[in-house]
Amino acid sequence: MGREKKKVNISSKLIFTALAMICVGLIVISYLFPDILSPVRTGVGNFFAPMQQGLTVIGGGISEKLKLFSDKEELIEQNEKLTDEVNNLKIEIQKLGQEKSELNFYRELYEYDSVYQNSQKVAARVIGRDPNGLCTTLTVDKGADDGITVDMNVLAGGGLVGIVTETGKNWAKIRTIISDDSSVSGRFQITSDTCIVKGNTKRMEDGVIDVEMININAEVYDNYEVVTSYISDKYLPGILIGYVSNIRKDPSELNKRAYLTPVVDFEHLEAVLIIKAVREKLEGFDE
Amino acid sequence: MIIKTLIILLEILVSFIFQTTVFSHLKLADVVPDILVIVTASLGYIVGKKTGALTGFLCGLLLDCTYGSLIGLFALIYTTIGYICGFANRIYSEEDYTLPLFLIGAAEFAFSFIYYVLFYLLKGDLDFGHFSMRFLFPRVIYTVMVSIIIFRLLNLNTRLFDKLDLAAKKRKGGTTHEFKGFDAFSRKDF
Repeated sequence: MGREKKKVNISSKLIFTALAMICVGLIVISYLFPDILSPVRTGVGNFFAPMQQGLTVIGGGISEKLKLFSDKEELIEQNEKLTDEVNNLKIEIQKLGQEKSELNFYRELYEYDSVYQNSQKVAARVIGRDPNGLCTTLTVDKGADDGITVDMNVLAGGGLVGIVTETGKNWAKIRTIISDDSSVSGRFQITSDTCIVKGNTKRMEDGVIDVEMININAEVYDNYEVVTSYISDKYLPGILIGYVSNIRKDPSELNKRAYLTPVVDFEHLEAVLIIKAVREKLEGFDE
Repeated sequence: MIIKTLIILLEILVSFIFQTTVFSHLKLADVVPDILVIVTASLGYIVGKKTGALTGFLCGLLLDCTYGSLIGLFALIYTTIGYICGFANRIYSEEDYTLPLFLIGAAEFAFSFIYYVLFYLLKGDLDFGHFSMRFLFPRVIYTVMVSIIIFRLLNLNTRLFDKLDLAAKKRKGGTTHEFKGFDAFSRKDF
């Protein structure tokens, strides 16, 4: 025990100052060299992924239990509504079936070949979310071992969720399109006018994000579909992003802007599809 | 001493995992409670300044490594919160449940405000009214509500540590040898 006696009591002020200096140092390092600390992040991710996986199941169970408290009458009413909807949808499916065969015919004619429909997809389960509950970052349970790499596109329910930004052994991190840092080059399905879909967590409280840089002369209206465009360098073309609304002129009067309702329900996202194809880099193309 | 450190480490790990998994399912009014602020502020209050600062540092670092963009940013905020809450350790009383809740509320308010400054204000978003009504106040209220339970659990540390101290004294044969503590932790801190 002699070792302890020699130890001098370090004052708390000193500890605090040291910790604060370490923090500031880390901030500077990670700002200047973002790649240096990524092995640490990967390690921490690998350590927590299995535990998060287990607990997410429990969390899901609890929230389902809480849902049981919701009103019975509400459920009955909902049931009626849904039955109606199912009937309508059945009719619609028939219609769409016809249209699909027509579409296939035209596709063959145009030799249209969407990249994402032919490439392999991996299903993954969401095991972690942004701690703020804003769904700007998701962690899923498939990683480098399953062939996931950075920049792969992520879908759910037929719509774009986001893009893989980091991968570990058995986990991958996804930046969603509603994140403030996200901007996706989009295109109106019907008119082929291009636009930029920008994430906006604040606006997402009302279920919409921003669409900017729409040509002032573009003839677009509410509920038009926006898909990923051919000119994006990270997103595969032709993936549905959402539907526009509230189209208005930009204050600069040079462009139009609008809101976009994503097709993906980020709040209740449980599983996603990761497309195992990355947009090819342009060789010898300097930015 | 090692056992105490391990217990605190375990508490931090468990709360971090719960924060990112279970609690993101327990949303009320679109906000999730901030367990890490509760743990940092509580341990600062219960155990002391150094533990508070170290706990905050670890919690923040974990957050940074998993969800942040800059490593060290949240660590700095949480370290400061833990250290400042540690000043209240002087008037710590095991039966007092009002002061810690007030501390945790204040800590969460400070954290959310800094969060607003860093992630909204610096991006040119001046709408603090909207932010405070939709995010800040619901979050503070929810966090304080949850902390009523979590602080009680963390408060059990005091009893546990007292028992450990007693056991350590007995092992040394009842000498009056003062336990100086390892590394950074002083006796007063525990």
